[in-house]
Order: sequence, then C-alpha cells, then structure tokens
Amino acid sequence: MIFRLCMSQLNIAVIIKLEPDFSEGNVSYNPDGTLNRAETKNTLGPHSGIAAHAAFFGRVMYDAKVSIGTMGPPIADLALQQAQQISDAEELHLYSDRLFAGADTLGTAEVLRVGIGKMQGKMDIVFSGHRASDGETGQTGPQTAWKLGFTFLGNVISYSVDLKTRTIRAKRLISLQGTNVIEEIEAPLPVFISIDPTYKSSYNTISQRLAFQKYQKEATQRAGNYKNYFKVFNAKELGVDETLVGLPGSPTIVYKVERVPKATATRSAKVIEGSDPEQIRKVVAKMKEALSAMVIK
Amino acid sequence: MEEKYRHLYVVIEHEDGELLSVSLEMIGEARRLIDNFNIKYSLNEKVVAVILGSSIKDLSKQLIEYGADTVIYADNPELKDVRNTIYTKVIGQIAQDTKSLGEIEPEYANDVKRPRYMFFAADSIGRHLSSTVLAELESGLASDINKLVIEDIEMSHQQKTGGTKEMYAKTLEMYRPDFSGFLWTTILCLDNRNPAFKRDYHPQSCSIIPGVFEPLKPDSSRKGKIIEFIPVIDPQDLKVKILSRQIIKSEVDFDSPRTIVSFGRGIKDDPEKNIKLIENLAKQLNAEVGVTLPMSKKPYSINQTMDSKYMIPARVIGTSGHKTSAMLYVAAGVSGAMQHIWGMKDSGFVVAINPDEDAPIKNECDIFIKGRMEDVIPLLLEEIKKQIQIGEK
Repeated sequence: MIFRLCMSQLNIAVIIKLEPDFSEGNVSYNPDGTLNRAETKNTLGPHSGIAAHAAFFGRVMYDAKVSIGTMGPPIADLALQQAQQISDAEELHLYSDRLFAGADTLGTAEVLRVGIGKMQGKMDIVFSGHRASDGETGQTGPQTAWKLGFTFLGNVISYSVDLKTRTIRAKRLISLQGTNVIEEIEAPLPVFISIDPTYKSSYNTISQRLAFQKYQKEATQRAGNYKNYFKVFNAKELGVDETLVGLPGSPTIVYKVERVPKATATRSAKVIEGSDPEQIRKVVAKMKEALSAMVIK
Repeated sequence: MEEKYRHLYVVIEHEDGELLSVSLEMIGEARRLIDNFNIKYSLNEKVVAVILGSSIKDLSKQLIEYGADTVIYADNPELKDVRNTIYTKVIGQIAQDTKSLGEIEPEYANDVKRPRYMFFAADSIGRHLSSTVLAELESGLASDINKLVIEDIEMSHQQKTGGTKEMYAKTLEMYRPDFSGFLWTTILCLDNRNPAFKRDYHPQSCSIIPGVFEPLKPDSSRKGKIIEFIPVIDPQDLKVKILSRQIIKSEVDFDSPRTIVSFGRGIKDDPEKNIKLIENLAKQLNAEVGVTLPMSKKPYSINQTMDSKYMIPARVIGTSGHKTSAMLYVAAGVSGAMQHIWGMKDSGFVVAINPDEDAPIKNECDIFIKGRMEDVIPLLLEEIKKQIQIGEK
C-alpha cells in the first residue's frame, strides 16, 4: 500500500490561452472581413480546451493532480475557470504583469517555464493545445518544453502512462504533404505534449466511467469556487529575469499589418442569377463538361 | 567588414528516401533571395541545405541540383527517424559549428559564427522542430510564411533600439497571412540594440507554408560543396523509442476526388440545413467536402455528428490546410480570402455560389451564381439529377 501511494502520484500541468471566441454571436468581423477584436468576446481557446480534456483523462485514469497555468491579462481567469471545469484542476495560475505584454512566443515560453516551476509537485506531463486560434503559431508549447528540458511530443492523439516504470506511450499523427503517419512512441516521464486537434479521450470500463462521473462532479464544484484554487503571480513573484520576458525577451516584432492586396483576377467569371432555372441548367451542363475534361472556357 | 552572421540555412525534410517537395520549394526560394542579395550587397553568401538522417548522403547531390550551394549532412543510424530532442540538438550544433561555417565560404571563415537566416517547413515536423531549434539558439521565429523580402530597414523602436533611430541592414521581412486571410502581418527578427538589454538575435528564422514557392528545375550540371558533419550524440537525447510507424489514409481525401464542394460563413443563416444541402450536393457529384479555415474553429452550435464530421482542420482548403487541383470546385458561401484562394486556385473549373457580387471569390471562379445557397443548391440538385449520373463512392 505504501508502495502504491509513492508510485501512483502523477502530476499534470496544462498551459492554456484566453482567445477570441469565434462562435457565431460572439465573434465580430469588420466590414473588410478582418476580426473586430474590440467587439469580439473572449473564451478558453478551443485547442486549450482539448489539452484540458487530455489532462482530465490523466485525472480519471491515474488519479493525477492537475494544475493549470496561463499568461495573460487579469480577465484570463475566465479561461482558467473554464479549463478547471473540464479538467478538475486543483491549482490555477495566472501569470500577469505589464512587463509580459507584447511578448512573442519565446518571451511567453520563458514566463510559462518559470510558472510551471512554481506549481505544486514536480510535473510529469505538461499539456498544451495545438495552436492558438488567433495567433496560430503553435510555437509556444514546444518552446516551453525546450526551456523546461522536457521531451517534446507533438500531435499526440492518445496516450497511456505506466506508473510503475514512469513511462508514457503515445500515438502521434504526423501529416506531411500527401501522407499521414501514425507513430507510436514510448518515452520516460517527464514529457511535454502538444495535443492534436483530433485527440479524444475514451473511457471504456465501468470503473473508468464511474471515476469519470466522480471527477466531473468534483470539477463542477471546484469551478463554482474557482477563486479558492486561483493564484496570480506578477513578474516579481515569479522571479523571472526581466530581460527574458515581455518585449526585451522577444526576438521578433510585428513590423506592419496590411490588407492583403486584392489579387488580380485569375479568371473571368460569368455572373448568373441563381433564381433562374434556365441559367442553372446551363451551369450544370458546364459542370458536366468540366468533369469529362472537355470544358472550353 | 566583420559580420558574424552569414548564409541562409534550409532545414530539409525527407520521408522514405525522398525529399519532400516543400524542401525543394524552400531551396528554390532561398536561391532566388540569395542571388538578389549577393548582387545587391556585392557579397558571396550561400544557400546551405541541412539534412539529417541515416544513409542520406545520396540526397545531398539532388539538393545541389535543385539550387543549394552547399549541403551539410549528418548521417547516423540514431537520426533515422525524426525525434525532436536529438534533431534539435544536432541542428543546433550545425548552426553553431564554425568549422563547417568556415568551409562554406573561406572568404568569411574568420568572422562567421552562425547562419544569418534559417528556413524550416511549416508542416507537422518542421513547425515543432523550428520552435525547439530557435529556443535552443535563443533567436526569433515566424511561422507559416508565404512571402519573403530582404531589406535595409531604418527604424526607431522603444524597446529594440531604446527609442533612437537605427539601421537594420539585410533584414528578412517575413509575411504571414492571418487566420482570416485578409491581413498580412510582417514579422521581423531584430537584435536588441537598446543599451539596457543588448542581445543578438540570429539567425532570423521562419517556417514556410508547403506549396507556396516554386522549386527550381533540377540541373545536373550544378556544382556545390557537400560537407559531412559528425554530430555529438548524447544518449540522454535518445530517450524516445519509436515503437511503430504506420502510413494511414486520411478520412478526408482531397487528392483523388475529381470534385470538391466547399463551404464557408455563408452557411450561417441555418448552418445545419445548409450543411445538409452541401452534403447532398457533394453526394450527387461524388465530391469530397471542404471548408474554409474559420469553419474549423467551430463557429456554430450544430449537432455533434455534423460538427465533428465537417468543422475540422482536416477539411480546410487553404494555406492552413490542403491545396487541391480538383477538376470541378464548387465554393458555396465562400468569400474568397487569400488563404482559401491559394488552396483552390489550381482547380479546373470553379463555380461559386454567393449573394455578394463584390466577394473576392468572383475573381477566382468561372461561373458566379448570384444567390443564397439555400435557394441555389436545391435548383442545382434538381438539374444535376437530370444531367449528371455519377456512381456512388
């Protein structure tokens, strides 16, 4: 029993991001098709949500302790609460300081590295989402992994942990031009996982489903009182090197943002009225020709 | 003049003994950039292909034929499969190896410390590898780039220059389309010249979207240097064991179907009903269904089956997804952001359905059916049933 207690502990961290909510009704676009950030609501990023689901899988299967961290403005506590509801986390960290503003991925990764070090217990697995919906770089996860010195596993679609040997088995989905490869790997803990968008947890046995229900209930209770689990750290409290975070710690800057110039027309469209059945008949005839590769434009 | 940073390094990807086309595309673009660069600055810097693997020496010759001046290869059984840790370490070693840097162009051998620029592929391997390599090298990285320019930039930046005007010569302007496809963001990787926190950030690096740039025609008469790099391999970096690798067929197939029907935000008035219409249309045309990037962000609350079948990244046509050259491409409710256009413009015959005649898709289609999809698709379906008979998939 003592042996089991010592060996069964698994510490999981998730790094998440507050992002624009792209769902209809919450997202707002400018007339020119660009995102209207001021009018768009914020929410837990969808890929962050998947990372939280992957962490919850560890909670259910291995009784893991889950901690969540994010760098962002004070309103990012919303994303932490949402991620707690998914993952049943018992520790929520917000790294927030004006010094962190304007950071690129390297400057962000430095904050997250230090923040993860402040979490309770030594982390065995850190999860991040595949990429943010707004920035879309997907760099922060692997860069945090590298700074932590953790083995990085990208595009993970499923995983299992052997608590006895402290190893993880994972499947990764690698898409190259025209080819998809599923790679199964084994690695000793600790690891850093960026979770693939196609990841799905599966709970197959009755005891797993019971544990799932139990922890889900607990998650709802915890998220209802999320402030009890919530802690904010500024730069000083984290003890970060101020030259490695925010703007000074960011090699890259955004130099300019411009509208993509309107492409010169590559085709000359024939415009037809969609309500005219005779016109539609002609369109379909053209489509038919195209499919027999005999179309004359 | 003393310069610590020289040359453009391109990190090559290959699978099963063959170079991935994105590798050749990157070499092609690197060649064009460096040729202009050398003329503009009267220099003699090189395009350097970096390739890691096991028994890969033969690929080096091909890289020269496609435009590289120099190939640095690391050939070791431990490098057979791409494993992030060891690959990052070895690429990091190569980027800081002054011996091979000196061999590339002896004229610069005394000063050169690191590459000036570095390219990676923006695919499942290169995206992560570029991130960890640049964390290892502690320099800057821009991802998913589709345009590159080298310029001298004079600028004053509160943090980078401490507010004074500085000239950043030979700066790589890295253009990336944003998620909407309507905005282009230019990213620069600049040394901190601010006296408060001076730091060099080189190489200036980026990952490049596959399919954007044209490879050069291979020329077997091209000459180049091939340099072997013997990596230092620490057993600590070999902890990941690859148990199996299996090539799978994607559940979404954009390569074989002759027709693709795609949809965008135009479904918004009644997403479920409109997706049903699209589904029907695709079925009648034996087509695969594609979506625009915003759809993969699940903007509508629709039933779970439809949501997980269609609103997924695997169906995205565009720079963040697939490129198609379907014989027939039907774009329903797609506005035509650059992102998306890039993915479909090589299609044979393009039909767009859109109520807005000012939508950019109009310039990219052969027939523009003006109207809402909920009105147009039923008419199309009726006609298709009469005119086109295609066997079931």
